[in-house]
Amino acid sequence: MLLALVLSSLSCAAPARNEEFFGKTDPPPDNVMRYISGDEPESLDPHLSSGQPEARIFLALYEGLVEYDAKTMDPVPAIAERWDENNDSSEFVFHLRHNARWSNGDSISARDFVYSFRRGVAPETLSRSASLAFYIRQAENYNQGAVFVRDPKTNQFLLQKDFGGEANVIPLSETPLNAATGEFKPSAAEPTPDKDTAFHQLMHSPERLTLPGAEKARQAALAKNPKLQEAVAGKEFVPVKAEDVGVEAVDDYTLRISLRQSTPFFLGLLANQFFRPVPQKVIETYGRDWTNPGHIVTNGPFKVKAWRPYNELTLERDPMYWDAANVHLDGIRFFPMADQPTMMNLYRVGEVDAVANHAIISAWVDEVRYKKDYMAAPEAAVIYMVMNTTKPPMNDIRVRRAFDLAMDKETALKWRKIVKPLYGITPHGIFAGYPEPKERKFDPVKARQLLAEAGYPVIDNKNGTFSCPSFPIEQVEYTFPTAASNKITAEFWQAQWKQNLGITVPLRSMEFKTFVDSRSKLDYKGMAFGAWGADYMDPFTFLGNFYTPENDNNTGWWDKRYVDLLDEANRNPDRGKRYELLGQAEQLMMDAQPIIPIETATVNWTKKPYVKGMYPNAGSLFPWKHVYFERDRSKWDSGTPSLVATTTDNGGVSFPGN
Amino acid sequence: MLRFIIRRLLITIPTILVVITLTWGLVKLAPGNFYTTDKSIPRAIRQRIKEKYGYDKPWYVQYAKTVWPIIRHLDFGISLKYQGQSVTSIIVRSLPVSAGVGLMAYLLALIVGITFGSIAALKQNSRWDYASMAAAMLGISIPNFVVGPLLVLVFSLTLYWLPPARWDGLFSRHTILPVLTLSAIYMAYIARLTRAGMLEVLRSDYIRTARSKGLRERDVVIRHALRAGLMPVVSFTGPALAFLLTGTVVVEKIFALPGLGNYFIQASLNRDEPLIIGIVAFISITLLLMNLLVDIAYAFLDPRIRY
Amino acid sequence: MKEDPPEIRNTTNGESDLIHTPPEFAVAEGDIHVLPEDEFVAGTSLWKDAWRRLLKNKLAVFGLIVVTLTAIISLIGPPLIKSATGYTYDYIPSDVMLIKSIPPFKSAAGSFSWSHPMGTDNSGRDLLARVLLGGRISLMVGIISTFVSLIIGVSYGAIAGYLGGRIDNWMMRIVDVLYSLPYVILVIVLLAVFRSSTAVGQLILLFVALGSVSWLTMARIVRGQVLSLKNQEFVLAARATGVSTGRIIFRHVVPNTLGPVIVYATLTIPQVMLTEAFLSFLGFGVQPPLASWGSLAAEGIQNIGIFPWQLIFPGVTMALTLFSLNFLGDGLRDALDPQMRT
Repeated sequence: MLLALVLSSLSCAAPARNEEFFGKTDPPPDNVMRYISGDEPESLDPHLSSGQPEARIFLALYEGLVEYDAKTMDPVPAIAERWDENNDSSEFVFHLRHNARWSNGDSISARDFVYSFRRGVAPETLSRSASLAFYIRQAENYNQGAVFVRDPKTNQFLLQKDFGGEANVIPLSETPLNAATGEFKPSAAEPTPDKDTAFHQLMHSPERLTLPGAEKARQAALAKNPKLQEAVAGKEFVPVKAEDVGVEAVDDYTLRISLRQSTPFFLGLLANQFFRPVPQKVIETYGRDWTNPGHIVTNGPFKVKAWRPYNELTLERDPMYWDAANVHLDGIRFFPMADQPTMMNLYRVGEVDAVANHAIISAWVDEVRYKKDYMAAPEAAVIYMVMNTTKPPMNDIRVRRAFDLAMDKETALKWRKIVKPLYGITPHGIFAGYPEPKERKFDPVKARQLLAEAGYPVIDNKNGTFSCPSFPIEQVEYTFPTAASNKITAEFWQAQWKQNLGITVPLRSMEFKTFVDSRSKLDYKGMAFGAWGADYMDPFTFLGNFYTPENDNNTGWWDKRYVDLLDEANRNPDRGKRYELLGQAEQLMMDAQPIIPIETATVNWTKKPYVKGMYPNAGSLFPWKHVYFERDRSKWDSGTPSLVATTTDNGGVSFPGN
Repeated sequence: MLRFIIRRLLITIPTILVVITLTWGLVKLAPGNFYTTDKSIPRAIRQRIKEKYGYDKPWYVQYAKTVWPIIRHLDFGISLKYQGQSVTSIIVRSLPVSAGVGLMAYLLALIVGITFGSIAALKQNSRWDYASMAAAMLGISIPNFVVGPLLVLVFSLTLYWLPPARWDGLFSRHTILPVLTLSAIYMAYIARLTRAGMLEVLRSDYIRTARSKGLRERDVVIRHALRAGLMPVVSFTGPALAFLLTGTVVVEKIFALPGLGNYFIQASLNRDEPLIIGIVAFISITLLLMNLLVDIAYAFLDPRIRY
Repeated sequence: MKEDPPEIRNTTNGESDLIHTPPEFAVAEGDIHVLPEDEFVAGTSLWKDAWRRLLKNKLAVFGLIVVTLTAIISLIGPPLIKSATGYTYDYIPSDVMLIKSIPPFKSAAGSFSWSHPMGTDNSGRDLLARVLLGGRISLMVGIISTFVSLIIGVSYGAIAGYLGGRIDNWMMRIVDVLYSLPYVILVIVLLAVFRSSTAVGQLILLFVALGSVSWLTMARIVRGQVLSLKNQEFVLAARATGVSTGRIIFRHVVPNTLGPVIVYATLTIPQVMLTEAFLSFLGFGVQPPLASWGSLAAEGIQNIGIFPWQLIFPGVTMALTLFSLNFLGDGLRDALDPQMRT
């Protein structure tokens, strides 16, 4: 009887589904945005949460030196009005605006940023994204608890260059300051470099030698270098302190940051939530509890009104915000939710105004993509498979290449409908002017040939199928984190390998945390799922994963030539040449095939047509101050709004409207 | 009676301790830990995290550190995943959601179930009886994760009457579908139990005596029969609570409710040790206490039982 | 003898505790020597009586038929379908068009076709084949897990009940404690620590995990029964003749508890199937490309707003089977209960 009820009501309601938009489109009576942000935020402390759901919330609560442009995600001035960059991007000076304030009325100064950066990399903070700041001088050493070596008699520190520990190329931020005019490009606004300080002199002197802070590690390092061991005798070890980190408040509104190497993408990096300021006084008063709704102080366009975990985070507009006049919404209600169908159901019924990215699972895409409220645009995120190059049979490059060539990604593209196949590690179509790696298309014949060369001949069963009995199938499986979409894709690849190579790779789905653990320890057999979203808008955020064999490498592959190419690229001030070098590095890596690239993601979300100022940019991060509800139906968004930036006086931002 | 209660309460304490120990052991065995994210963490930071939470100490030290505060002042510590939130505050915050939905569902189930079950028993073998029992059978057989989405499909996604998910306070439109979903299976069980219990009692001697004394049927039913006939329902309440928990987890997942069940699943997936232990301990205490209450109620209902 | 009612009471339906096995049925097969003359007087045995009563119960018969049909269809169905339409449960068509639908629902891909009588799932796999496979696996999980729990529970309960005293006390305390352990954790740990790379291995783990959860109530029931049986005369007789304790428990006492045990087992199977479905929700149940009704329902729920048939078909099939199993269980219980109820 229940069934009859279901069927009858559905057939009555079926016509309602042929509208242009997906579900109800009545704007709410008030000016409060209801948005599904993703998983429940771990914390409202920008140093402690590194995920994308939290990032979206932080863009409403905190504002950094720079902010993302709503369409292109380029860094635009925020708390910093303007800045100077030295000739090899190893030192930056920021000039802050004078009218920026915290939500409790206190004004924001350069000292706030010095405190925040120091706190972020402080070992006690236990920030998991501290590595983003390791480009700053001594930040990594401070974070790892390293020590300087000082002679107690002369108070001189031992220097890196005396013990061969120096990099091949010294960044301009480390060269002595006599060559000051060579360092900065004088401009009309800034004809001479800024005021000098003792700290600045220090930054421009040769790098000090550091040793690991932990006893055992230090002994091991010393044992390797007898000259060092001898020099260290009789000296004292001075821990690297917060004050040694290369950030300095030259005065109340001038901030200088010294980097340890050329970092041309540093400005884009600064928009990341990690670099947004946190209120020193509040943290020192309340400690861990400083983010409780009663205590928390923020500096963004909105402030916290209430927080019911797992249910709703309610924000209201902050009148103390320096640009409050240009903030349109009166409040935002963030609903934490990770289940895609539930998200879309709520959206459809009109309970929310927009949903997080990747809300629509592939099976629904056909039903949703032609609706006018569907947002399709390339995303700065890639999906690939990592292979464990430390264990056979995947340690043989021919086997790895064979598995790559046996996958028909072009067909998968058609099947998934909204993503593009990928042939490298950087996302396709995101970085203008970047040379994309060579396309290795689907070639099952070559794949079988490679496998045979590697010692695992593929037998043609003559009935349209293949088999490969010599392949050590018990040493290979494909592991992925448990999720509906992952399972479907995994099964597709399994079918591909079976059809083209005659190998049925076992599938293993693991709960997410177990999966990440197993993958980073190189515990997994054969192949595993991999995905990476950009931390900042530069190819290096993807290429840098393979800079060391540890951390997010997950494959065990490492090549010095690759690292050298990356370093050379970063030192190059010419953007075109830099991209070229990065491209060469990427090609080198893809030729070695430690991964099987699969696809560039698409943003894939929906927003109601009356929500304007919110663009499907490559990172799905929205500066909320620009968002507003349009009540005039004729001005509603119909389709994906254009992401082409229209330039205006403040460089790249144009609002409201398209 | 009093001695019985005291004895049971005393036994509860070591039982809970054993439960906590077992849970702690199981969580320790599980691979993965709470600070894993999809971007891996530099080794030194990981080491520091380990030191802070004491994971590098031997197991008995970790055990003592976990259990001693619980014994002394019921301090279950701070959640590892939800920075700065104490386990107790999380439980206190999410309990009203789960308990609210659960209680409302159970009450609804009791009202509907007992009514229909009694009617079925009184009009045995009639159309009422068969219809009610068939419906009850259906209720037991259709899993709640089928009922829930079907209800959502009809009342929310098609008719747009009710919201398909989320929580807005106990007495809001958002509660209707979860309560209905959760109560379906209990309605069915309770109806069947009531019917069976009532049938047994209605046939017994003392009811025949009551009837032959000339008491009105209504008095017979309500004052005599129901009391004894409800015993199976009362005894069902114990294990029903265990079911209620898992049923609540499913309902909370389908409707995205911020309740204890949802937190529990998240905590297990996150390997959030203090939260897991806290919730497990809380559930155990509740179950044991409820079982005790049920035993006491049993004694009231059936004067033959004596402790 | 002063029984402890709360112990027997904790069953999932209160009815079985009201069964008190009358003495006349507590006969162990090997202990009675039938004199030749008595053979003509022999009445029907307990089992034949029960069977007759069962057959009289229409609903139970219906249940029995459906269950048997389901079992048969699960066994021979997939090969049949394969020869009829060419689809197996794991075949993903490489031509990208999928999601065939069922009227009155529509999908962008296409409408009804006889080659997919139940439509397809999100990857294009035939739903009918998957539902049939799901039947196989769900039933298998249900039956084998119940069997596992039966073995553990009966032994445990019989030993506890027979030995009595402090051993009994401690054994039941352990049961109490285990009752309070939320099994989600148990299963997560179990399935994570003892990894299995093959789908079959995963299934076996599942059997063990599920079986180890449901034995508790079985143990309680059996213990209750044994408590009431152990002072019967036939037991005293066996002890007097020097039969070892083990044999007494397993060859004399346990067979007489089989009535409620069978009933409870038949009622456990649907519970276990429901539990397995719940675990599939979390991704710990059956792994791809296999499917069980539970995992199919979990997949179907994802698409309830757009492709409702993906939930309706497995859901209805599952409900129907559980329905029948419950009827069967009810019928068995009524049949084995000497006090006629209906």
